[in-house]
Amino acid sequence: MTQEVVTISGSATVAEAVKRLKDKGLRALIVEPRHSSDPYGIVSETDIVYKVAAYGHDPKAMHVYEIMTKPCIVINPDLGVEYVARLFAQSRIRRAPVIQGGLLGIISTSDILRKSDFIEKPKPLFLEDRIDVARAEARTICKEKGETSPDCAAAWDIVEELQMAASDQRSKEKEVAEKSSFEVYCDNNPNAKECRIHDD
Amino acid sequence: MQAKEIMTKDVVTVSGSATISDAVATMKAKGLRALIVEPRYHGDPYGIVTETDVVYKVAAHGLDPKKMHVYEIMTKPCLVVNPELGAEYVARLFANTHIRRAPVIQKGLLGIISISDILRKSDFVENPKSDFDRYCKENPGAREARIYD
Repeated sequence: MTQEVVTISGSATVAEAVKRLKDKGLRALIVEPRHSSDPYGIVSETDIVYKVAAYGHDPKAMHVYEIMTKPCIVINPDLGVEYVARLFAQSRIRRAPVIQGGLLGIISTSDILRKSDFIEKPKPLFLEDRIDVARAEARTICKEKGETSPDCAAAWDIVEELQMAASDQRSKEKEVAEKSSFEVYCDNNPNAKECRIHDD
Repeated sequence: MQAKEIMTKDVVTVSGSATISDAVATMKAKGLRALIVEPRYHGDPYGIVTETDVVYKVAAHGLDPKKMHVYEIMTKPCLVVNPELGAEYVARLFANTHIRRAPVIQKGLLGIISISDILRKSDFVENPKSDFDRYCKENPGAREARIYD
C-alpha cells in the first residue's frame, strides 16, 4: 500500500479536491468519517472527470459529497495481495483505503502491479478447494479404470502437485508469521551486539 | 482545449505476442499505466493493455504472468481519440464508455490521453464549458446565443 494518504472533507468544493490531487500528485482522496460510526468515503480522479468535467459542470460550484463514493470498500491490512486483486476485479474498483483502527494507507492496482511479487511468485487461489476436487476426481477415475491404470496414477499426480504447492505456500506464510521477536529486533537493529553474533 | 494539447506524447508499444511479465517490466521501467498494441498489418486495429487488465485478469486469479501473453488480456480493437477532439468531449466519451485512457491516433500513433491528463492539464476548473456554452460558441449566430450577449 501507499502510506501517504490525503483526506478531504465532503463539504469541500471539487475545485479544492482537484487542487489537492494536483499538488500531491495523487489519484484519489479519502473522505474521513464525520463521527465514530460514519463510514469512510473516497473521491477519485475518475469521479471528477466522469461526473464533472464530462458535463462541463463548474468544479467551483460542486462539492465532494455530490460525487464521492461513500461508504467505500475498505481493505484490512492483513489481506493477501492476491485477494486484494480479486476483490478489485470483482467489484470493478482500482483503489481502496487500508483501515484498521484508523486510516493506514491506500492500496491501488498500481501498488499491486509495481510492488507485489505476483510475477515472481504467482499464487494460485483456493488451493485447498482444488485439492478436494482433484482428490474426488482421482477416486472416481481409479474406481472406473482400475487402481493400477495409468489414468489413476496421473490423477493422483495432480493431487500430489497441488498438495505440494499448498504446503509450500503455507510454509512461506508461517516463516513470516513466526519470526521471533528477537529476529524482528535484529531486523530493525542489525548492528546491535546481540544480533551481530549471528553474523560470524 | 484539444486532445493533442493535453495528451502524453511518451507512448510505448508492445507486441500482442509478448508475455505479461515482459509487458509489466516495460510498464515498471517506464512508469506507465498502459501500453499500446500496434496494428499487425495495414487495416488491423490498435489495441491497449493496461495495469487494470493485468491486475483484474492475471494477478486476481493467481495466474503465472510468465506463461500468459498480452493478446489474452488486451482490449483490441480499442477506442481511439482524434487529436482535435475537445478535452470536454474526451471526458464525456470516457464517462460514457467507462474507460480511462485511449491512444490518440491520426495516420499513426501520436500519444495517449488519460483521465489524469484531463484532470491535470485541461482547463475544466478555470473554464467549465456547459453544453449551452459550447452550442453558443459553435453557433454564434443562433438566436438563443445572441440574446445573452
